[in-house]
Amino acid sequence: MTAISLRSALQSLPENAQEPIVDQLFATQLLRALGFQSGEIHPEYNTGDGKSVDKAARKTIGDDIFLYTKSNPHLLLELKGRDINLSEDAAQYQKTVNQLKGYLLGPNCKTAQWGIITNSCHIQLFRKHGRVIYPATQCLSIDPENVDQVIASIRKKIERPTKALTIAVYNNKGGVGKTTTTVNLAAILTFLGKKVLAIDFDPNQQDLTSSLGLSLSNSSVFQALTEKESDIKSAVCHYTFPLKKLKSELRFDVLPADQELADAPENLLRNRLKRHTLYRKLELARQEYDYILIDSPPNWRVFSQLAVYASDVVLIPTKHNNLFSLENAATAIKKFIPEVQAKKGDGSPVPLPIFFNGEKITPPQLAAAQQEINNLIKAAKKDGFNLMPYFYPRYTNARRDLHIPQIPSYANIASSAFSRTPAVYRDRAAHDYYKNLVKEYFLQ
Amino acid sequence: MSSLSDIGNLMHLYLDEIDPDVGTDAPEFLIKATAHLLNQNGKRNWIPVIVKEIDEDKYKVVGNSFIYAVAEEAGLDRVWCIIADDSDETTEITKVLAGEEIPKINLSKASRDEIMAALQYLIEQPGSLLKTVKLPLATNRIDEAPRQYWKTFDPITSLKCGITKGKKLDALKQVFYLTPQPMPDTITDIAILKTMTTADLKKIAKKRGIAGLSKMKKDDLIEALSGG
Repeated sequence: MTAISLRSALQSLPENAQEPIVDQLFATQLLRALGFQSGEIHPEYNTGDGKSVDKAARKTIGDDIFLYTKSNPHLLLELKGRDINLSEDAAQYQKTVNQLKGYLLGPNCKTAQWGIITNSCHIQLFRKHGRVIYPATQCLSIDPENVDQVIASIRKKIERPTKALTIAVYNNKGGVGKTTTTVNLAAILTFLGKKVLAIDFDPNQQDLTSSLGLSLSNSSVFQALTEKESDIKSAVCHYTFPLKKLKSELRFDVLPADQELADAPENLLRNRLKRHTLYRKLELARQEYDYILIDSPPNWRVFSQLAVYASDVVLIPTKHNNLFSLENAATAIKKFIPEVQAKKGDGSPVPLPIFFNGEKITPPQLAAAQQEINNLIKAAKKDGFNLMPYFYPRYTNARRDLHIPQIPSYANIASSAFSRTPAVYRDRAAHDYYKNLVKEYFLQ
Repeated sequence: MSSLSDIGNLMHLYLDEIDPDVGTDAPEFLIKATAHLLNQNGKRNWIPVIVKEIDEDKYKVVGNSFIYAVAEEAGLDRVWCIIADDSDETTEITKVLAGEEIPKINLSKASRDEIMAALQYLIEQPGSLLKTVKLPLATNRIDEAPRQYWKTFDPITSLKCGITKGKKLDALKQVFYLTPQPMPDTITDIAILKTMTTADLKKIAKKRGIAGLSKMKKDDLIEALSGG
C-alpha cells in the first residue's frame, strides 16, 4: 500500500519541484514508508537554540504521542527542493549536511539517533551516536524504479540501530600516542558508565595488551579471525580496576594482541584475512558494547586496513611538533579512508577532527604547527579536497576560529604503562583531560 | 505617534546635541589616526553611532562610542547616527553587539560547551589573570559541580582548578552570572552539602527536626543530613 504511493508520489513530482512541493507530495509518504504514522511526525520541529528542522519523528510509546508531547525525537528529516543539488560533490550538499548536523546536536534532540537529508532525487541517512554523526548510507540517488528498495533498506537500518560506536585510533606515524589514547579513552568511558571493548590490533608492538598487564593471546584471536565458526568472544579478556572505597570495580573488555598474528608472514595473513574480516567478526559485539576502540599499527598494511574498515569513525592523534604526524593525518583523510569508504559502500568510516597529543604547546610552536596545517590544507585544496573540517572543526566562513583540541602528555601519563594502569585511574589531571576529550568528541 | 518616531532611522545629528555618556576607552593613537583617515576619506562615518533620544534635540550614545570620539577628534559638525529605543535591554544588546561590553551567560544553567567557551575566552585574553588555569580541568570541575544552587562564585575556589579567591575569581564575573535555585530541604548528596555554609546546613537540619544542633560541627551536620 505505502510502497505504491511512494513510487507514485515520486512520479507525480514536477522536474524542478521546490521545497514546499517536495514536502507536500513526497515527505509524508517517505516518513510513512519508514514506519511513522501521522501522530508520530512533527513538522517544523524546534531543535532548541531557536532553530527548527523540517520534520521530526518518533514512534508512539504508550500514550506518549510525539505530535503532542514533542519530546525525545528519534529521527530528523531535512528537506530540500529539487533545485538544490544534493549529489555528494555539490557545494549545497555539504551545506545541507552541516545544517542537519546542527539540528541533530540541538538541545531538544539529544535522543535523536537518525538524520536524513533528501530533495527527492538524492537521499542520505546519518547515524548519531552521542555527539558523533556519521553516514549510515552513501548519498543515494532515487527514482521511481529504485525508491521502494532504497527506502526499505533505510527502514531496516533505522529499526535495528547498532548499539556501539566503533572507533579506529590510527596514524601512520608511530609514537603519536595511539595506544595511550586508546587505553585512556577505554578507561574513562568505562568510568562514565559505558560498556567498552578495546582491541589491540597491533600484534607486533602489543603495547595495549602489555600496558594493561594482560597476557598475550596465543592463537585464539588468530583463530577467531580466521575460522568461520569461531567467535571473538572466546578470546576476550577483562581488565579490572578495583575501587576499594566503594567495594566495587571498574571493568572493560580487551581483545589482546595475538602472538600468532605477529609471527605469521604478511602473505599468509593476506590469504586468510579479508578486508571485512574484523568488521564481520564484530557484528555481535556491536550490539553488546557502547564503544569499540581499535588500536592500530603505524602503517597502512593489513591490520590497519582491517581496523579502519571495521570502524564507523577514525580518530587521528597527532603531535604539534611532528610534521609527519600531520602529513600522515592528511594522507589518511585524503586517501586511505576514502579508499575504504569506496569498498565498504555505506558511507563510513569518516575521520574525526584531529587533536594534538603531546608536550605542552607554546604560542610560537602553535603558530608553526598552524602554518604547516595551512600548507597541507592548501595542497589538498588543489586536489579538490577540503581538509578544513578535520583540522579546524570550528572554522566557518564567518569565523576564523583555529582551535585544535589538545591533550598534554606529561610524566604521569607516560609512566602509567609501568604500573599497568590507565593514567586516568591514577592521575586526577589525566582523568580530567580525557574526560574532556570524550565529552568534546563522543558524549552529548 | 509611532509614525513620527525616529527609532530605527539613520540621521545626521549635530555632535553637540549628543551626550557621549561613558565615552570610549580606546587609546589616543587609534582615535587620532582614525580621525585623520576619516578626514582624508570623505568625512563620512559609514558605521553609525548608535544613540537614543533623551529629550527634544538631545541624544545619548548607547553604542559605538569610539566613532563618536573619532568624529569629535576629526572636528565634524555632524555625525551619522542610528536612533535606538531607550529601553535598558536595547542599550545592553547594543553595547554587546558593538563589542564594547562582554556578554554574560547564566552559570546556573549553562551547558558544558558554553562554560568551556567562556573560560577559553577569559584564559586567552592578552595578559589574562587566568593564564595558568587548565581549560579542560576547570571546565569539567565547574560543569560537574552543583552550580544550580550556588548563590556566589566562592565554591569555585574549592574545586582545585587553579581559580583562587580574589582577582582570579573576580575575572569570572565578567562572563558569568548566577540565578540560583533554592536548595531543596530534602537534599542528601554529600558533595552538594559540602559546598554549603554551616549556617545553611543548620537551617535545613532544623527543618528536618535533627536534635543537638548547637554542638554540631560542619562535618557532623553533613553526616546527619546525608544519613537522613
